[in-house]
Amino acid sequence: MGFFDDKQEWLAEVFAQYPADRRRSALMPLLRRVQQDEGYVDFERMKEIAELVGTTATEVAGVMSFYSYYQGLPTGKYHIQVCRTLSCKLAGSDELWHTLTERLGILPGEVTEDGRFSLQAVECLGSCHTGPVIQINDEPYVERVTKARLEALLEGLEQDKPLEEVRRTLPDEEKMGKATIELEGEGGAS
Amino acid sequence: MPKVKVNDRVVEVPPGTSAMDAIFHAGYDVPLFCAERHLSPTGSCRMCLVKAGAPRKGPDGEWITDESGEVKIFWFPKLMASCTLAVSDGMVIDTLSDEVRHAQSGMVELTLANHPLDCPTCDKGGACDLQDRAYEYGLDRKFYTRPDGEPVYTRYAFTKRHVDKHHPLSEFIILDRERCIHCKRCVRYFEEIPGDQVLDFIERGVHTFIGTADEGLPSGFSGNITDICPVGALLDRVARFRGRNWEFEQTASVDPSDASGQNIWIDARSGRLERIRTRENPEVNDLWISDAARFGHEWVNEDRLTQPMVRKGGSLEPATWEEALAAMRQGLEGVDKKRVGIVLPGDATIEEGMAAAELSKVLGSDFLDFEGRTGVPASNYPAATFADLLEADYILAVGDPTEELPIAHVWIHKRLRGVKMPPRLNHGTPIADLSIREHTPPDRSLLGAFAPHTTRVMEWAEASGVFEPGHAAAFFAAFEAALAGREPTEVPGVDPVAIKRAAERWQKAEKRVFLIGAEVLGDVQAAQLAERLAKSQGAGVLVMTPAANARGLEAMGVWPTGDRKGPRAVFIAAESAPMKILEGTEFRVFHATHLSPMVARYADVVLPAKTAYEKRGTFLSAENRLLALQPAHVEAGEAEGLVQALHLFGTALGLNPAIRFVRQAQQRFAERYKIDLNRLDAYGTLWRPRVSHAPRPMPMEGNLYLRPSMWKARHRRGPTVQRALGVLELATHPETALAEGLDEGATLEVETPEGPQRVRVVFDAALPKGWFYLPAGVPAGRMPFKALVPRGGEAS
Ligand code: SF4
Ligand code: FES
Ligand code: FES
Repeated sequence: MGFFDDKQEWLAEVFAQYPADRRRSALMPLLRRVQQDEGYVDFERMKEIAELVGTTATEVAGVMSFYSYYQGLPTGKYHIQVCRTLSCKLAGSDELWHTLTERLGILPGEVTEDGRFSLQAVECLGSCHTGPVIQINDEPYVERVTKARLEALLEGLEQDKPLEEVRRTLPDEEKMGKATIELEGEGGAS
Repeated sequence: MPKVKVNDRVVEVPPGTSAMDAIFHAGYDVPLFCAERHLSPTGSCRMCLVKAGAPRKGPDGEWITDESGEVKIFWFPKLMASCTLAVSDGMVIDTLSDEVRHAQSGMVELTLANHPLDCPTCDKGGACDLQDRAYEYGLDRKFYTRPDGEPVYTRYAFTKRHVDKHHPLSEFIILDRERCIHCKRCVRYFEEIPGDQVLDFIERGVHTFIGTADEGLPSGFSGNITDICPVGALLDRVARFRGRNWEFEQTASVDPSDASGQNIWIDARSGRLERIRTRENPEVNDLWISDAARFGHEWVNEDRLTQPMVRKGGSLEPATWEEALAAMRQGLEGVDKKRVGIVLPGDATIEEGMAAAELSKVLGSDFLDFEGRTGVPASNYPAATFADLLEADYILAVGDPTEELPIAHVWIHKRLRGVKMPPRLNHGTPIADLSIREHTPPDRSLLGAFAPHTTRVMEWAEASGVFEPGHAAAFFAAFEAALAGREPTEVPGVDPVAIKRAAERWQKAEKRVFLIGAEVLGDVQAAQLAERLAKSQGAGVLVMTPAANARGLEAMGVWPTGDRKGPRAVFIAAESAPMKILEGTEFRVFHATHLSPMVARYADVVLPAKTAYEKRGTFLSAENRLLALQPAHVEAGEAEGLVQALHLFGTALGLNPAIRFVRQAQQRFAERYKIDLNRLDAYGTLWRPRVSHAPRPMPMEGNLYLRPSMWKARHRRGPTVQRALGVLELATHPETALAEGLDEGATLEVETPEGPQRVRVVFDAALPKGWFYLPAGVPAGRMPFKALVPRGGEAS
């Protein structure tokens, strides 16, 4: 069964937003819907979307791979996105990445055995002054991720505490100014 | 028209011209990688940087002047990509200053930074835009000297990016991702020209690569990307490593596989046909040819007949031409000359047609025919050109343009995207045509598509329908009724609403073009209705004949007449011939390139033939355009042309045929029609001969529908083509299949005109019930469906 078979009304709404000869424009909302509901977009879904908007699987793959948001492989319950762009790199994202891969024993594209974690390196998240920055799923950022903060974060998530709570109760680092914590909410909303 | 000053020259160009084209029009050069004729300019490579400026008008409406009273030029603050910059009146462009040259050489350096520089093993070497520009802009003096005194010519001291180097995209095309410079020509090509978006950029930024999610690049026009790729990233796999560009003998000729008249370059080396490339003809095929035309040539080199053969005591034995002549004399002894038949191939040239017609006349025979002949002559219809498609307000296709007349597919797509015929500048077609836009969806209201099976263009058609085979006449009757404002009569399988819709659009249109395919042409009643319709409605018709030169042969008088008793002896130069002729004759001479099963079984004498790639001659294409074929040098022993073979056949009959050489036929043609076939116009000469031949229906029986395919039987003998096409698909309505006990995906063997073939069952609920469809390598038709494996097939 196709993913959109039982979502005809929703589909009609989406398509209604674009001129009839530009169904292709609905490519992004459809991709987003699959990504949100299933955590990744597999090849069958890509073909289904292609068919619906009247294009080829190739074009869907092209659009999809342009955005790091879309996943082609299943992700864990917590999909950890580590910024690897310059500011974060200077602030230590390489070490962070190593610690993470070693601690979790996975590489991008893999999921930990308990199904909890998956990993991805992404480009600048737009919060360069609070690097290194991590984003988990679509949630607000975790900033200035030092080793201690990372460990606390992972431990909290391993106990299945709500992410928001874990994020707020991470240990303060000396370097970390109060202002940043207040800013966190905003940064995450972008 | 805007006046533009390029360096020291002032030129006038049409409004909307790009600065790049103004530069070329003025006779100057500018380097480029991503701009390409007939594609939308995107400005992605930044190679074409120039300095540009324009005057401005003040609030008073007058040109602003400088202190000295001269019109002041406001220079753009940065150098501009000339391919995406539209000219304006008074614009000044500088391509020669140090500033510009320095920026351009910087771009070459950047483009080369990650380039593998493997020119010595790259098939594009010698014909590569990047290589040329690297020579032009590269450092000719050492950049610095190493401590050990060695000169160094590059300042790129880092490790290069390494990615996939040998990535097959399909059986026909291989991609080297290290060589790709991300110009996006290939991606834009697929979307804008054939409309098959099977290639795209994957990932982004420095990680971007060319890739596909549609396995095997499903498109009938994929090969063109190997011509337009400015580097050696996309290469023709059939021709891979077969020679360096400067080693090929290049012959300008015309593709013989269909009636489009696609202009090609034949690249031969050491007597082998190694590669076929497109040859630009802006009135016929632009820069594009079909995959069948490009990749379907492997058969030419393999297992050629290189000397005559004569049947001795049951088996065919190699012989000399003298022995062949003697054997023909003997076999034709006492045969009634009136009952000697001649069957030509569909790609026989006009000259060959004339020689055959003359010989037939001298014989007094009425059996002169060609392979792929249609029930009524193609010349009966008011002709249309491809350019007419661009101006049409409504296009009605009854048949399958993509397979039957591939280049028509490209022109129809252009029309639906609103592309106009480009102006001709001094350097030809504009290289960066700013009127072409990316991502223009086809305007479906301009096309109606009907056929006895689903077709590719139906996706672009507002009104479409699949009618049951044999009901083309019913379709035209219904369409006429709808035009007359009556309720359309019933056409099995087609929704009357679609017919009404098409008729409405047709009526509103001023310029109408009509395409008709084999199904219509094979059915005399349908063909006559179509003719009446076209003539009464003032529509031009593109007749999609299976034979490449149907019109030329018809004009020369190649058409069967008289009674149907059939010949007693026959000269067959075609690749297939009706059973009645093969079985019903006493003596058969074949003029053949290969010892096919048919030749091996029926021939009494075989004369080795040249392929159409080795001929000098002329075609009259579907547009009624005379196009010249030139002979490529392909080694085929003692093979001779058809004119010579016919002459010998005539000699064996005790005659002295008047035409012995192609040149003699051309002389006669010039006398008769006042056209010198040796001096045709650069893009071919339109010629509309008057032809009147009585309809001669083709037999059409059976429920296995041989649907037209661009891949002909001979193409399919090539190993690469075989791999690419894989197991042929036998398409059928699910109910029909189940009634026959066939499951989806089952493979089985069926009887076809080319002998038994393995096929795979696919379901298509859009097809009429009771029929099986198989892409045919021979002129389309039908035959009884006969499975050779126990019903149900084998599970795949
Ligand atoms: S493969 Fe060739 S045509 Fe395609 S983007 Fe790369 S360089 Fe351009
Ligand atoms: S570099 Fe990491 S957020 Fe900008
Ligand atoms: S930017 Fe590529 S040719 Fe102009």
